[in-house]
Amino acid sequence: DSTGKGLLDFRSHVDASCRYSEEFTNIYYDCMDKKRRTLTRLYLDKATLVWNGNAVSGQAALGEFFESLPSSEFSVQTLDCQPVHELATQGQTTLLVVTAGQVKFDGHKQRYFNQNFLLTAQASPTSDQPVWKIASDCFRFQDWSS
Amino acid sequence: MTSFRKWYPNLAVVAHVQVGQDEGVVVQREVTSKGKLPGEHGDRVRGPHFRGGRKVQCSFQGREYDDPARRQRPRGSPGPEHLVHFEDNIVDVSVNNIRSQDGSWQRRFDPYSWANQRGDWRFDRERRGAGDYAGGGRTKDSWYKMTIPYGKKYNKKWLLTALQNKCSVPFKPVHYQTEGHKAQFYLEDAFTAHALVRASRQITDSEGYKVLVLMNPCPPPSILNTELKPQDTAWLKQCMAKRFDSSQRTLDLNQLRSDPDLVSQNVCPILSRKIFMDAVVKIIEENIPELVHLNLSNNKLYQLDSLADLITSAPHLKALNLSHNQLKTEKVLDRLKGLKLVDLWLEHNPLCDQFKDQPSYISAVRERFPQLVKLDGYDLPLPIVFDVVATSTIPPCKGSYFGSEEIMFLILHFLQQYFSVYDSGDRQPLLNAYHDGATFSLSQPSSQSLSRCLLREYHKDSRNLKHLKDPSTRFRLLKHTRLNVVALLNKLPKTQHDIASFNIDVNTHTSMLLSFTVSGVFKEVEGAFQDGVRAFSRVFIAVPAGNSGLCIVNDQLFVRIATMEEICSAFATPAPTPSSSLVPALSTPKQEMLSTFSLKSGMNLEWSQKCLQDNNWDFNIAAQIFTQLKN
Repeated sequence: DSTGKGLLDFRSHVDASCRYSEEFTNIYYDCMDKKRRTLTRLYLDKATLVWNGNAVSGQAALGEFFESLPSSEFSVQTLDCQPVHELATQGQTTLLVVTAGQVKFDGHKQRYFNQNFLLTAQASPTSDQPVWKIASDCFRFQDWSS
Repeated sequence: MTSFRKWYPNLAVVAHVQVGQDEGVVVQREVTSKGKLPGEHGDRVRGPHFRGGRKVQCSFQGREYDDPARRQRPRGSPGPEHLVHFEDNIVDVSVNNIRSQDGSWQRRFDPYSWANQRGDWRFDRERRGAGDYAGGGRTKDSWYKMTIPYGKKYNKKWLLTALQNKCSVPFKPVHYQTEGHKAQFYLEDAFTAHALVRASRQITDSEGYKVLVLMNPCPPPSILNTELKPQDTAWLKQCMAKRFDSSQRTLDLNQLRSDPDLVSQNVCPILSRKIFMDAVVKIIEENIPELVHLNLSNNKLYQLDSLADLITSAPHLKALNLSHNQLKTEKVLDRLKGLKLVDLWLEHNPLCDQFKDQPSYISAVRERFPQLVKLDGYDLPLPIVFDVVATSTIPPCKGSYFGSEEIMFLILHFLQQYFSVYDSGDRQPLLNAYHDGATFSLSQPSSQSLSRCLLREYHKDSRNLKHLKDPSTRFRLLKHTRLNVVALLNKLPKTQHDIASFNIDVNTHTSMLLSFTVSGVFKEVEGAFQDGVRAFSRVFIAVPAGNSGLCIVNDQLFVRIATMEEICSAFATPAPTPSSSLVPALSTPKQEMLSTFSLKSGMNLEWSQKCLQDNNWDFNIAAQIFTQLKN
């Protein structure tokens, strides 16, 4: 089912996703650490977050949630990314971004975390590059039960 | 002593310092007058001599006529006590104790004595008194202009005090000013004005002249208007515009009263008067709300009430100069609490002398302006601040999040099947679980040497974009199509997953897509690290498949070494065997429920038990679930 052209498309798609995911994670964690108030701009209006089993959805709730978290210092050590099959996304270009590393929340000890995002590309009114927004976000401490 | 000379240039003061007999050092002062002092009626005052062993406190204190300290002084008694008073307290010259022409000692004004004599009438007087300007009902010439010829030379406070001492009724002078050689002010009340006139010639000044008091009816003074005349406001505004530096956003109102533009227009902007300060603040509010620096020095300000509006109307105000004014206590600063001042000048205000040392001065000011960095031109030492921002807490961590029971069953069912194949030793059947165009990649923590060692079987296929930059390698390590996916899975070490340890988070669920993250632990079952416990986090993205199943389109696996805690709690429950995992402790009804449920749902006993347990073995709920699953 992969024609030569299809493979090429897929290859460039993968290349592009790697770059987007790197750029995205840089922006995301920088925002999380230094500009927390602007973090919700990276999320879709109806985005969902599951944070250590706590479900949060919608801009307003997300805003409140991030505001309630202490200030953070993230250190991403592992990054992986896959383009999501179009069957699942009904044509909307989507990336799966998976990260792992450590985070220190102010007043708490440093902990390891695993996180993954579904990013969807939205057409930008001002450029031909898409604007990536988080459709879903899943975060968990590796030692969440302790 | 210097002040003494200023007001009484014709008097000489000679201080003798003596060692007294019993009381140590004593200062004696002789006051003599020099030069000719022609009095109106030839009366002259000779400064009295003071002898005696009293220690003298030399302090200047202004006293108002109703100073409580006065009342306690024995009245009418002549003697050194009053002479002390005369020398030390320039303002409060106890002129009433000077012998008048008829030789009788004048009594000091004592409000209580008056009240005793005249009953309540005094209180009426006070209520209606000269201090009350706010009332209306002014007739054409309802006020009185009181003139003191040659009054210009007198200190205002001395004069008014002396007059009050002589006046049987308390009066409040309005708009005291000097004109030529005269001093004048206004009184509203006829009775008060008449009472004051009776004080004429009752006071003799230092030169021996009698102080005259004249009174003339007049219309209410324009100074009483609560608002400036429009043209005055216009001039004030123009003057302020001239004094405003827009590049620095600075307004310099230093010594505004002597501004030549205003003086030439006969506008007398006495900023200590509410009407003027209000006008200034309003002009700021309407025209330059962006004001950052404001200089109000040398304006005889004694209160800051009108400035309080600046807190809202000039929110950017950071620097304020209130130096060289008449602010008496630190309390006046309370009115400006809320101004985010960074730079403040307060020197040369009486309030500065009230502090016993600089640290207390600084902390009193800082109390009102916590962000202050400069005071009186000096950089302040950094304040000791306790960070009172409450450390937010992290929300409590919870277990699996499914979003709905339906999804929970769907996923549990799927995972049970998936891992039973995954752990079986041959992963080939997993082809059925993946979509044709599925992708898979794995990653692991790269930095820790221990994990690199223990996870070396995974290492060569590990795809960490943080460290892996070559696009070809990046591409190669992303397995695409189910054949490639399962081929890799088959090469990975054989495992035994602890399903009981699984935690599942469902991040997205749409009609076409189900994305969930599974985390838990597994054991290596063969090879160099047999029985080694590993922890994993695995993201599945699936689309619906026939027979209410799932078809994987994306699979990302993260593997790491398990922590001690995870190792200890891992595999606490016995691994499921195909036969049965009935816990003997279950009661018979429960056993029955369990087997029925398992049959109906298609899940093995262990999963079925887990679901029932989660629902508290509630038969009704279980029945609902049967129905849903059947459909």
